[in-house]
Amino acid sequence: MTAPIDTPIETGPAAVEETAAGPRGLLRYAVTKLGGALLSIGMVIVATFFVFRLIPGDPVIAYTRDVPLSPDQIALLRKQMGLDQPLPQQFLDFVVKTLQFDLGTSYEYRRPVAELIGERFGPTLLLTGVGLVIAVSLGLWQGTRAAWNHGGRFDRLSTGVSLVLWSVPTFWLGLLLLMVFGAGIGPIPGMFPTRGMESVDAPDGFAYVLDVAHHMVLPCLTLVAVVYAQYLLVMRSSLLDEIGQDYVTTARAKGLRDDLVRRRHAVPNALLPTVTLVFIHIGFVVGGAVSVETVYSWPGLGLLFYEAIKGPDFAVMQGTFLVVCVAVIVMNTLADVAYHILDPRVRST
Amino acid sequence: MTKWLARLSALGVAFLLVGQGQTALAQNPQQAGKKIVRIGSIQSVDSLNPFKAVRLISGQIQRWTYMFLTTPDPKTLEPSPDLAESWSTSEDGLTWTFKIREAKWSDGKPVTAHDAAWTFNKIMTDDAAKAGNGPAVENFESVTATDDRTLVIKTKAPQASMLDNPIPIVPKHVWETKDVGTYEAEDNPPTNGPYIPFEQKKDQYVKLKANPNYWRGEPNVHELQVIFYENPEAAVAGLKKGDIDLIGRLAAPQWEAGAGDPNIVQWNTPGRRAAYLQINHGATTSDDKPVGDGHPALKDVKVRQALHYAIDKQKLVEEVQNGLAVAANGSIVPPMYKDFFWEATGEEKVTFDLAKANQILDEAGYKKGPDGVRTMPDGKRKLEFRFSIHTDTPTEDKLAQFLTGWFKEIGITLTTRKLDSNKFTEETGSTALFDIAISGWSVNPDPEEVLATHLCSRRPTPTGEGGGTESFWCNKEYEDLYQQQLKELDRAKRAELIKQMQRNLYVNAPVIAIYYPNNLELYRKDRITSITPVPEGRPGEGILYGGVSGWPMYSMDAKPVEAASSAAGGGANTGVIIGVIAAVVVLAGGGLLLARRRKTAAEDRE
Repeated sequence: MTAPIDTPIETGPAAVEETAAGPRGLLRYAVTKLGGALLSIGMVIVATFFVFRLIPGDPVIAYTRDVPLSPDQIALLRKQMGLDQPLPQQFLDFVVKTLQFDLGTSYEYRRPVAELIGERFGPTLLLTGVGLVIAVSLGLWQGTRAAWNHGGRFDRLSTGVSLVLWSVPTFWLGLLLLMVFGAGIGPIPGMFPTRGMESVDAPDGFAYVLDVAHHMVLPCLTLVAVVYAQYLLVMRSSLLDEIGQDYVTTARAKGLRDDLVRRRHAVPNALLPTVTLVFIHIGFVVGGAVSVETVYSWPGLGLLFYEAIKGPDFAVMQGTFLVVCVAVIVMNTLADVAYHILDPRVRST
Repeated sequence: MTKWLARLSALGVAFLLVGQGQTALAQNPQQAGKKIVRIGSIQSVDSLNPFKAVRLISGQIQRWTYMFLTTPDPKTLEPSPDLAESWSTSEDGLTWTFKIREAKWSDGKPVTAHDAAWTFNKIMTDDAAKAGNGPAVENFESVTATDDRTLVIKTKAPQASMLDNPIPIVPKHVWETKDVGTYEAEDNPPTNGPYIPFEQKKDQYVKLKANPNYWRGEPNVHELQVIFYENPEAAVAGLKKGDIDLIGRLAAPQWEAGAGDPNIVQWNTPGRRAAYLQINHGATTSDDKPVGDGHPALKDVKVRQALHYAIDKQKLVEEVQNGLAVAANGSIVPPMYKDFFWEATGEEKVTFDLAKANQILDEAGYKKGPDGVRTMPDGKRKLEFRFSIHTDTPTEDKLAQFLTGWFKEIGITLTTRKLDSNKFTEETGSTALFDIAISGWSVNPDPEEVLATHLCSRRPTPTGEGGGTESFWCNKEYEDLYQQQLKELDRAKRAELIKQMQRNLYVNAPVIAIYYPNNLELYRKDRITSITPVPEGRPGEGILYGGVSGWPMYSMDAKPVEAASSAAGGGANTGVIIGVIAAVVVLAGGGLLLARRRKTAAEDRE
């Protein structure tokens, strides 16, 4: 795969074919995908604007519920929110501002939405990021083992357990874990905090890291328990497909140890489908896990979104929605590109 | 399998060690001997900038950290001195003169009338400062400080509720340098109330410390921590475990979860809220043009009264509110406010009486059809009403079921419409697309605010701008009484007028009060040794948290954080380190073993 990228003249059909599959092909592929992504982002921006205007109810009235205001004050509020403008003008303002990364001002916090999102980005990334890494490792490991000893005790047990957890509502599981391991029930002491990301009197330095880790155990556990089944199942089925392939039989016929056949031959090929899954989930990591963050009062984006819905704070809802959508699109694009690099079969099509 | 189990259990032990150590570690050794009270809040603090904050929790913190012109007396709830030592009113009731107390800001600078004047003027002149308390200065003509100790407020029209002003006074010398529209008070500007904020983390907590220079004297408690829980069930779990010491504003199921713990006090007292049905009696806009699609039968006061007779309020209290409410025999002001509460008596009192309801409707000419449903006297339209409730409130579902049953008995069909809270507010507050709707209001010690929600001027404008009406009510007698009570500075006489206003609502039934939900709170008596509710001195009554007075938080006392925990804290640190090391050793050892096993196996076989 040594494509002559710096040679302007290509000779012969072989070279052309080589380049198509080489870095230049990748570049073209990436550019196409990027264009697609940009188009999607543009559509998301348009959709966001209109979706949030389709939501029933007038934001000003909703916002001033239980607050007695005179018509003058309501008019002022409408002006502050930019809702006194005609819809096309509002749309134009929205697009221009969004492209400048200005997501508007929260009605409830009276602060720029971008600032609010920025504040909550870290905690969310920490929680869902760690959760994702654990869920992926656990899922892939168990999936591999389950498929390799297909129909065995481990297979039945791990698939069963993960499916049960997968079908449990996150909110319910979170509260259950919180009641049992957070608050403590009967002989089980309350070992973990019942809320938040850190103690109110959090220590400094390394002890602080421990404190945060301690707070993260239950939310992370909930998150992992609910999602790892997808990795397990995808890995399991894709490895099962591979096990039947001729090259695996060949490998075995060569006299390779079972473990090596699995690690060097079957697993790398079986991993491919999980790549897409992982990348798509990295996208959702940004959105956080609304349920988990709500149960454990984790100060992240999911909580911000939930609070915004309760408000209702349209600017915040809109901003969070947009950020999550963009993250998913970006990650999807990266997944496509990664796939292109990892799997030669994609390149030939 | 066994190996995997062993690894898992080792990991579990490591986790346990870390966990155990940390719980104790949370007790910072420096806190030993300090009296710290941790208050759970199911709302996060939106801002510590009083010009911007709109959430209830932020209003509470303002009560604990700032002085107000006046504050409700802990016993009588009448306005009593706070920042203003005394006050007087001019003959025409338009000019108020306040004598400002000598006090200090927490940065040592003196508190003067100029601070108060600046605060009010800022809100009056700067739109960005109106978010928090804009409506409270709407009737102000001018506010001036004639000297350091004298504040003069001139109003456009008389305002008897002046002494219930909700605006905390901020230090001019700090705030005049800030842009109040964007300032987040993250550097904890000085305050002058019983507590001083000194640390905040967004969506997590706010810490307040005792103010040694507070004019009533330093509070007993050294530190108040307001800790945010998004989930009320988690908060109650936290209280049971001891992560927090007090939590208020609970719903019945959460409050009931506090039962059975010897250290937890279940505080259940009359509340400050009234729940009522709002009836579309022929809604109009502020220019008296009809608006909405209310059923024509509801324009008839007889029909509204018949509905009132068909509601078993006691049953609703028991079944819908788990017995944790008081059936309403009055109107929009709950009995907690003794001075202003009006209760129906004698002929006027409406009791649950289906026969009477049927009789009223029969006499008014609403005849029952063959299907048992009544029609309008002209026979054109059936008495089929819609009942609007919120999608996310299960208790309202239950309420709807009971009402539907009773109304059926009097020949009225009720169908439930569930609405998203947004849509609900719009349909019941400005477009009037409803027949009957659930509503409610939390009342302040001065009920002026809730009374005003039934004024003609609160109806939506012709262009549909909602004015915050709770009933679309526009009634000559009610308006006159409202204006009279505004001018009446004699509290007893004013209370009489306010009672007449409630009677007006009760008799004409644009709203029908159904019950007054109780104030439900939980606290740990092993931590909080004494706490005085407001109003105090009435057995079985009073609110700890969530009232409009900082008194309970100021006057309470707590057990100091035990010194022993500081020693344990030291030990716990070692515990943590051991735990971590153990975990690392277990993991590394396991990994090493695994790698070695594979390596040897590979060497053996390949």
